Amino acid sequence: MSQATAQKRGFWSVIWDYMTTVDHKKIAILYLIAGGFFFVLGGIEAMLIRIQLAVPNNDFLSAGLFNEVITMHGTTMIFLAAMPLLFAFMNATVPLQIGARDVAFPFLNSLGVWLFIFGGIFLNLSWFLGGAPDAGWTSYASLSIASPGHGVDFYALGLQVSGAGTLISGINFVTTIITMRAPGMTYMRMPLMTWTTLVAGVLIVFAFPPLTIGLFLLIFDRMFGSNFFIVEAGGNTIIWEHLFWIFGHPEVYILILPAFGIFSEIFATFARKRLFGYSAMVFATVLIGFFGFMVWAHHMFTVGLGPTANAIFALATMAIAVPTGIKIFNWIFTIWGGSIEFTTPMMYALAFIPSFVMGGVTGIMQAVAPADYQYHDSYFIVAHFHYVIVGGVVFALLAGLHYYWPLMFATMLNEKLGKVTFWLFFIGFHMTFLIQHFLGLWGMPRRVFTYLDGQGYNAANMISTIGALFMALAVIVLVINIIMTLVKNEKVGRDPWGDGRTLEWSLPLPVPYYNFAQIPLIRGLDAFWIEKKEGNGEMLPAESLEDFHMPNNSIIPFVMSFGLFVASFGALYFASGKEWAIDAVADLPEKPWAFWVLVIGLAITFISMITRSFKDDLGYYVTKEEVLRDLEERERGAK
Amino acid sequence: MAELEVKSMTETQLRNLRRQRTKEMRLQLTGFGLMIFLTFMAFGMVALDFDPTFIMGVVMLFAFIQVILQFYYFMHMKDQGHDFAKLFMIVGMFFAISFCVTFIYIVWIGSPI
Repeated sequence: MSQATAQKRGFWSVIWDYMTTVDHKKIAILYLIAGGFFFVLGGIEAMLIRIQLAVPNNDFLSAGLFNEVITMHGTTMIFLAAMPLLFAFMNATVPLQIGARDVAFPFLNSLGVWLFIFGGIFLNLSWFLGGAPDAGWTSYASLSIASPGHGVDFYALGLQVSGAGTLISGINFVTTIITMRAPGMTYMRMPLMTWTTLVAGVLIVFAFPPLTIGLFLLIFDRMFGSNFFIVEAGGNTIIWEHLFWIFGHPEVYILILPAFGIFSEIFATFARKRLFGYSAMVFATVLIGFFGFMVWAHHMFTVGLGPTANAIFALATMAIAVPTGIKIFNWIFTIWGGSIEFTTPMMYALAFIPSFVMGGVTGIMQAVAPADYQYHDSYFIVAHFHYVIVGGVVFALLAGLHYYWPLMFATMLNEKLGKVTFWLFFIGFHMTFLIQHFLGLWGMPRRVFTYLDGQGYNAANMISTIGALFMALAVIVLVINIIMTLVKNEKVGRDPWGDGRTLEWSLPLPVPYYNFAQIPLIRGLDAFWIEKKEGNGEMLPAESLEDFHMPNNSIIPFVMSFGLFVASFGALYFASGKEWAIDAVADLPEKPWAFWVLVIGLAITFISMITRSFKDDLGYYVTKEEVLRDLEERERGAK
Repeated sequence: MAELEVKSMTETQLRNLRRQRTKEMRLQLTGFGLMIFLTFMAFGMVALDFDPTFIMGVVMLFAFIQVILQFYYFMHMKDQGHDFAKLFMIVGMFFAISFCVTFIYIVWIGSPI
């Protein structure tokens, strides 16, 4: 089972190993690969949008195809790229940061990643099976019920499957952080990445059930003949908007909080200073998480909730600026007077502060409900949320990729190419989205597939498209960098950045599959830094070297997810051509096999659940001798 | 294999444990009796044709007490080590109630406020 034998195994056995793995480090790599793939896919869709809008009266994409492309761009980027990539970094770091040998539920961790992958594949198969969803990533029910064909069905089922995976992972991280911290790792000694993961996990636990319910109602309406959103039958489409945004607003905090966590680690490491105002940062994180549930209706100011409701939600929204401001100032005070090292992750972190503040300021502008009536559905909104999501989350993902790459792969990405990527991306990002604020204020509505000549939008749209090209170039340079690094495969040793503060950098690279030979004793915040400054640079063990327990690999999560993937096809085609079906699918040819596909798919899932319940899998013990041999080999440099 | 250490308990520890369990059982039974009684009262009020507004208020109050009894006594939220469970339940309830209130006011009743 050791690394040395793993390297000798063949290609298929590596594939099998990843399909069955329950190791959080390998699951992190799965999340990274799948999330990276969907990120590129979403990026290609973004480029198509920008090419279409580069010149007036363009016919590069048809109006219908344009709707499909914007819907898939938003859905892919949020659900299949940003969130899984954050999960990749959470999986790679959190168990190591708290001194655990794995997450609390390794089996569920594996189930989470496979549900996400199958859900994502299902959603994207819509391109080949009669058209992608075209009702926008919010999929408002008035549009999505009317949308002809099966596009929206792919959206509802695909997100339902991958959303189940996300919920499972969220529960897993909350449990892991609460129950599996090493001795001495109190709550107020946890690194910020762990804290933000905990709060994001809690948000997932509370925010995903409303989405699940909303999606189920949509699935029932579109595929099984119910009337929740069908106005003629007494349904109400506003319910979807509420359910979606009760989920949707916490969702943006689920994305941004781990991003804050990554940046907090990077600031402290490369300014070589303790994070300023640690307890205030923790407090602000929790407060943002709590407020996140009180503000969803600010996405719906123009629905007509009435002035009192709008005022309440406007005020709650503005309140979020306070904890966010606390964070911004604490980051500035962390780098203030620090001995700053301008590595690639640090460049992203430094660029993040002004970029994110710009997005935050426009957010406060939109929180003013009367003013929002002007901004609503204009490019101003597009500019705002790209400033927070790209300037906040994507910067964090790219920074985290460079920062945590050695932890995940025991090699370093090239710093020179990394900086080229950074500058291309930074310039491209501001070029694309800054001008869109003005486009919005000049009156360009969002989600239009083209615009007329002579409205004053031409130059600005061209600039925006050129900016997008810069971002595409940046991603290409990044991919080249990754390939070069993987081919060269120059291994680095422990603490490759030289200034690691938290527990994960105290581990040897590549990290042994059992993480810690002995669970370490934590003596304070920035545990590794304390040992470097006050001890001998080694973590003190909290237990004697003994046999310890590890979970077995399992293929069941893969099969369980595959069952739901199959069942989704059954549900999708179930209503085709049935007389009780909604107009959107009633004219399609009938698919008599759909019911049986649904049954078979669910049977696969339930049988694998039953197998899991009745088969006792008690895991195995790593022997003391093996650990000693590993330690000895590392001592003389054999690894 | 990590060996499990099995220590037998002292006489005092055993007695304390037994006392604790007796107390726990008494609480469970009291709680159960109280809940049956509250349910009986609710049914009784309806059977005796009390004023409907009065019944509604009182039954809601009874229901609230029952929820607390259920969580704290039957589901052991009163015991130690349930801090996070408590926190999650209360926060979840807070969110759920606020969502329901919004839905009733601005979706169901439908008139803008």
